[in-house]
Amino acid sequence: MANKIAICAVAQIKNDPNYHYLRFQNMLLECFESIMKQTKVTFDMEKGIRTIITCSDDMFDARTISNNGMTDVVGAHFRGEEKMAQESINGLGYAMACILSGHDDLILFMGHCKESQGESRRMVSNLAYDPFYCRPLGMDYHNVDAMQARAYMEKSSVTDEHLAKVVVRSRKNGKNNPYGRENKIVTEKEVLQSPMYSDPLRELYVYPVTDWAYGMLLCSEERAKEFTKNPVYITGYGSCMDTYFLGDKDITSNFSLKNASQRAYAKAGIKDPKKDIQLFELSDHAAYQLPMWAEGVGIADEGKGGKWIDDGGMDKFNVNLSGGQLNGNPLLLGGAARAIECYYHLSNQAGDRQVKGAKRAVAQANYGGAGQHQAVIVMES
Amino acid sequence: MTTKQMKGFEDSYVVEGRMALPYTYFAGRVGSKFITTIRDQKKIMGVKCPTCNVVYLPPRQVCDKDFTDIRDKWVDVSNTGTVSNFTVVRYDDKHLPRKAPFVLALIKLDGADTPFMHILEECEIVEVKIGMKVEAVFAKETTNTILDIDHFKPAAERISVHEINATRKQWVPVDEPDTQGKRKGGKPDMSKPVIITAALSGAATMKNQISSVPYTPAEFAEEAYKCWKAGAAMVHVHAREDAGMATHEHARIKATYDAIKDKCPDIIICLTSAVGMGKTAEQRLSQIVAIKPEVASLNTNSMNFGIVDRKTGKVFIDYVFENTFTMVQDFGKAMEENGVKPEIECYDMGGLDNAMLIGRQGIFTDPMNFNFVWGVAGGQAFRAESFIAMMNALPAKANFTTCGVGTDQFPCIMQSCILGGHMRVGLEDNIKMPNGDLAKGSYEQVEVAVAIANNLGRPVATTDEARLIMGIKKR
Repeated sequence: MANKIAICAVAQIKNDPNYHYLRFQNMLLECFESIMKQTKVTFDMEKGIRTIITCSDDMFDARTISNNGMTDVVGAHFRGEEKMAQESINGLGYAMACILSGHDDLILFMGHCKESQGESRRMVSNLAYDPFYCRPLGMDYHNVDAMQARAYMEKSSVTDEHLAKVVVRSRKNGKNNPYGRENKIVTEKEVLQSPMYSDPLRELYVYPVTDWAYGMLLCSEERAKEFTKNPVYITGYGSCMDTYFLGDKDITSNFSLKNASQRAYAKAGIKDPKKDIQLFELSDHAAYQLPMWAEGVGIADEGKGGKWIDDGGMDKFNVNLSGGQLNGNPLLLGGAARAIECYYHLSNQAGDRQVKGAKRAVAQANYGGAGQHQAVIVMES
Repeated sequence: MTTKQMKGFEDSYVVEGRMALPYTYFAGRVGSKFITTIRDQKKIMGVKCPTCNVVYLPPRQVCDKDFTDIRDKWVDVSNTGTVSNFTVVRYDDKHLPRKAPFVLALIKLDGADTPFMHILEECEIVEVKIGMKVEAVFAKETTNTILDIDHFKPAAERISVHEINATRKQWVPVDEPDTQGKRKGGKPDMSKPVIITAALSGAATMKNQISSVPYTPAEFAEEAYKCWKAGAAMVHVHAREDAGMATHEHARIKATYDAIKDKCPDIIICLTSAVGMGKTAEQRLSQIVAIKPEVASLNTNSMNFGIVDRKTGKVFIDYVFENTFTMVQDFGKAMEENGVKPEIECYDMGGLDNAMLIGRQGIFTDPMNFNFVWGVAGGQAFRAESFIAMMNALPAKANFTTCGVGTDQFPCIMQSCILGGHMRVGLEDNIKMPNGDLAKGSYEQVEVAVAIANNLGRPVATTDEARLIMGIKKR
C-alpha cells in the first residue's frame, strides 16, 4: 500500500452484560472525552474534526437512523456525519477510503451498542432475513451459525472437546483484558455440560449479550504526529460478501474470508501470514468460528482446524488474547474491538498480555449468518 | 427491564417500548409465482440457469454466477428431498414458528441444486440425520410465505416396484383352460401379476387443467419414464401438437412414440386409434398401420361421447363417436395383420357384445384383451355389479383391465385388481388423486395403483410379464 492511515488513539468502556444505569449516549461520551484528552484534537473547521463516522444498528437501538440519538454527543452537529450500519470493522475501511481519497484527513470514529436493551438479540437477527423465504421459518444468526458449525466441525475434525478448550481459553484471556466482559471462569467439563442451545452449539459456545462503546481517532500519515507519538497504521483492508441463501454456497469453504484476507494481505504486502503477522484478533461469534476463521486467514491448514487447536495454534499465533468476541462484545462491534486490541499491542500498551515486539496484526470481523460478509484489516506499528 | 429491577436506581425512569410496524412487502414477480404455485397447486418450482445448469431454489431473477436472466426458466422440482444439514432449536423466542425444541433443516429437493431451509417434524429429533429423505407437507391455510409449505416430514420408505420384482420369481403362464370359470366362482388367480397402464394424455386433458399433461415428444418421454419407474408396464398415448391439440399426423405420432422408446425402451406403448374428435376412419387407422405399436386401442360401439356438466346435466360438447361394425372389423383386422394387439375398449356391455359378434369372423387372436371403460358421458357409469356382469361375459382366455373417468377411476381399478384384472390410471381419465388434490402427474396415480396391488398381495407386472399375459411380442 503506497499510502496508509494512522490510528492516533482509541478509547472504550468496559464490556458489560447490562449497562442499565448508562444511556448509550453516556457510554459514548466517556469514550469521546477520552479521545479528546489523549489527543487534544479540536473541532476547529480548518484543522480539527470535520468528519465523524458512527457505527450503530437501528434494530438493536430500536429506532431508525440510530445515529440521530448521539450525533450531539460525538460532536457531529454542523459537521459531516456518516453511519456505518454494518460490522464496525467496515467503518475503519470507510475511514481509510475517506482519508486516502483526500476527502478528509482527520476522522473521529465512534460506535455503540446496548444489546441488553432488546428483549432478544435473536429476534433482531431474524429481521436480517427476507420476509418470504427465511424470516417466517425463524432463521436467526444463532440457528444459522449452528448449521455452519455442524458442517465445519465435520469437515475439519473439530470436536466438542476442541470447542470447550476455545471457550475456557477465551474466558481466561478475557480476565486479563481490563475492558473484557466479566465472565465466570469455567472448566472444559462445565462447558461440555452446558445445555444444548442449537445443535451442535451449546449455550457456552455462543458469545454472551454485551453492551459496549468505543471511539477512535484516525488521520492521514502526515498528520499523525499532531495527535500521538505512537501511531498505529492501517496498511490493508479487504472485504467480501458471499451469497445470501445458505443453500447457494458451501458454508465450510471460507470463500468470503479467504477473499477478504487475500485482498487485505495484497494491499499490505503480506506474503505469508503465519510468518509476517504476530497477532490475530478473530471475531468468534461462536466457539467453532475461531478455528474456522483461522483457516480462512491462513494460519490453520484447510480442513485441519481440530488439529490446529491440538497443536497449540491459538497460542502459537497469538489469537484472541483479548478473549475475543466469544468473551463478549456486541455483535455489531466485534471488528472494532478486534482492531482496538491490535492497536494496544502494536503501540505497546497491552499490559500483561502484550505480544513482545508485535509489528503487524490482523483484525477480522464478520456479519450475517454463517459469516456471510467478511472483512479483514492489517495493522502495523 | 423495569425500575424495580434496577438496584440503586429505583427512582429512574425507563420506557418500555415495542417496535411494531405493519408493513407490506412485494415478493417480486419471480417470488410471487413461486409462492402462489405452492399455495394454489401444492407444487414447488425453481428456476434453472441455462448457462450453468444450476436449478435455484428459492427461485430468483438473475443467476449471480453468470448474470443470466433466468426469471422465465421455471422447472418443477419434487416435493421430496434430502436433508443436507440441520439444527435443533432448543430456545423459545417470539420469532420462531414452533415451540422448542424443533428442527430446522437444509433440504435439497429432488431436481434442485440449492438446498433451502425449512422445518422438519413428524419424527423424533434423535432420528433426524443428514441424508434422510423428507417430503413437503403443505399448509391448509395460506400465509403467502414459505410457510405455505407447513413443514417437511420423513418421506415414506417406499421400496420401488422394480426392487421388489427383482427379488421374486418371474411369472410363467400356465395353461389353465378354466380361468374364466375360476373368476366367475370368485376365485381369481391373485398370484398373477397385475398390469398397470398409464394413459398419459388422452385427447382432451389440457395444460390449463394440469401442467404435467404432456404435449411434446420430450414431455411424453419424461412422463412415460416416471410412470415406468413407478410401476407401469404400459402407456396409452394420444399424441399432441405443441399447442395441445390431438394429432393424427404420422410424423408427430412417430416422434412421440420414438421419444418414449428412447427414454424408456422396455415400456409397452398402446397407441390410440380414436385419436380425437372429428378424425376420419382413415386418419385413425393409418397411423397405427404406419407405426405398428405393440398395442392399440380398438373401440367397439358408436356412441355419444360428449362433455356434460356432471352436476347440472348441461351439455357443453355434443359428439357422436363413430365405430360402425365395419370400422371395428377393419380396424381389428388391420391391427392383427400388422402384429398390433388390440385393446378392446368396452364402454358398456353392448360394446363387449359387438366385439364378440365381429370376432366370430376369426379376426382376434387369443388372449383377447378388454378394457372396461367407465364414466364417459355417453357410456355407462361405474357400478360394481355391471363390472361383474361384463367380466362374466368374457371369453375363456381373455384378460381385462379397466379405467374410469374422474372419480370412477380409483374404485374401478380397485375392483378390477380384486377380481384378478388389471388397472389403468392416468391424466387422460382423471387429473386428481384420491384425496381430491391434483396429481403431480400420471405417475402419482400409478403409485396409487401399486399400493392397491401391494395391499391385495398381487405382484406388479414387469414389462416382460405384461407381454406374456397379453400375448404380445416385444418390438
